[in-house]
Amino acid sequence: MKGLSALIDKELRTLFQAPIAWIVIGVFLGLTGYSFTLTLFNNRYATLAHIFFQVAGLLLLIVPIITMRLLAEERRAGTLELLLTAPVRESHVVLAKYLAGMAVVLIMIGLTAAYAVVLGLYGTPEWGPIYSGYLGLALLASTLVSLGLAVSAFTANQVIAAIVTIGISFFLWMVDTLAAMLPDPLERVFISLSLLARFTPFATGAMYTSDAGFFISTTLLALFIAMRALARR
Amino acid sequence: MADSALPPVVVVERLSKSYGARRAVSDVSFDMRHGEVMGLLGPNGSGKSTILRILTGYLRPTSGRAQICGFDVVAQSLQARQCVGYVPEDVPLYAQMRVHEFLTFMGQLRGLDRTSCVRAVDEVIERLSIGPHRSQLIGKLSRGYRQRVAIAQALLGRPKLLILDEPTNGLDPRQIIEVRELIRVLANDMAILVTSHILVEIERVAHRVAILLEGRLLGVRALADATIGLEELFLSLTEGEPE
Repeated sequence: MKGLSALIDKELRTLFQAPIAWIVIGVFLGLTGYSFTLTLFNNRYATLAHIFFQVAGLLLLIVPIITMRLLAEERRAGTLELLLTAPVRESHVVLAKYLAGMAVVLIMIGLTAAYAVVLGLYGTPEWGPIYSGYLGLALLASTLVSLGLAVSAFTANQVIAAIVTIGISFFLWMVDTLAAMLPDPLERVFISLSLLARFTPFATGAMYTSDAGFFISTTLLALFIAMRALARR
Repeated sequence: MADSALPPVVVVERLSKSYGARRAVSDVSFDMRHGEVMGLLGPNGSGKSTILRILTGYLRPTSGRAQICGFDVVAQSLQARQCVGYVPEDVPLYAQMRVHEFLTFMGQLRGLDRTSCVRAVDEVIERLSIGPHRSQLIGKLSRGYRQRVAIAQALLGRPKLLILDEPTNGLDPRQIIEVRELIRVLANDMAILVTSHILVEIERVAHRVAILLEGRLLGVRALADATIGLEELFLSLTEGEPE
């Protein structure tokens, strides 16, 4: 476990020492803050549902920027050889990178709780949908971070890792739109794979264990793929 | 010199590695004992680095087996890696880390607790004479100091086997002499496997030499016992072989 905590510590330092994490967090907060203020002044509804969808959309673009370097950079710089020849498990290397990526995204999402505080101070929001919305965002982030990590494990090029992750994330987000054109068993499969269809209940205050299970299973599957990619040498 | 009373540190038996149809290493066998410096000599692409990467657990062999300190490098990879310190050829290091941060990180990966890690880091910093640079960013170091840092991390946790892949590549003459001297001193405490494609580098530091060509081991000779020089030995073993 000493190795795992050292790896997590190193990953967090690397992420936060580089300007990219701070720039991403700044841009993210700027955009969501602008949208929150504008919507609140126009509608005067004490809800964060629109913010949750907007944050989810931004995550599809921002998470790949955070995850692109996680393994691709180690491969490019040759330090992956140093890591994998040290007496640490491949699973610990992958887990440390996943947890570090999640830490950045959760900090980002957590900072938007300021909007909920504003709603609480000046209005009477329903807190149930706000809690479920944040849980949904955390689960969606988990799937996206692990997906980005898995893609990053296959290449030494960060740009390729980011573009491929954005492509897969957007496809999974809107894959239910394809479902209408398909016969019944396939239609249900495609709807069940849709990140949007899985996230919507959380954002609107309904929570289903099947949706939470979907996000957790896709996270585990992607982490497993990342580990297999590292072992394939 | 090699201590024949102790069990071998490295045992390699009929090791092969293929990439698709291409055979990078073919049926290689040798062993090494404590206190021995063994040189793997061969031209570029002869399979030296592939053998080292199999021994360090980075690559899996296609067939054959290798043991380090009695641990199989595939089935007991973690235990085997615990016995090895490794300096890869291009000295890959984390450029954005400071020297002592990097060494502490590598020490923790080797399972050292906080107190032992601090002690071990101070020890290797002193041994490699990198004290004045301990707080410097690795990316700002010269090639020679980067090499020292890479060797320092490999010595953390007192490995039984030190593996150096082309350790004098890119160094100036003074640094080359220092690395050779360091290898001689370190050989008192461990077995050292060193590769080079330069005859003189192996001749200066190794007790035994294994000559490789196109993935095949042409022969293993003790340099002290050889009646002919390494140059003649290399030519005699590779005579008639395709270039």
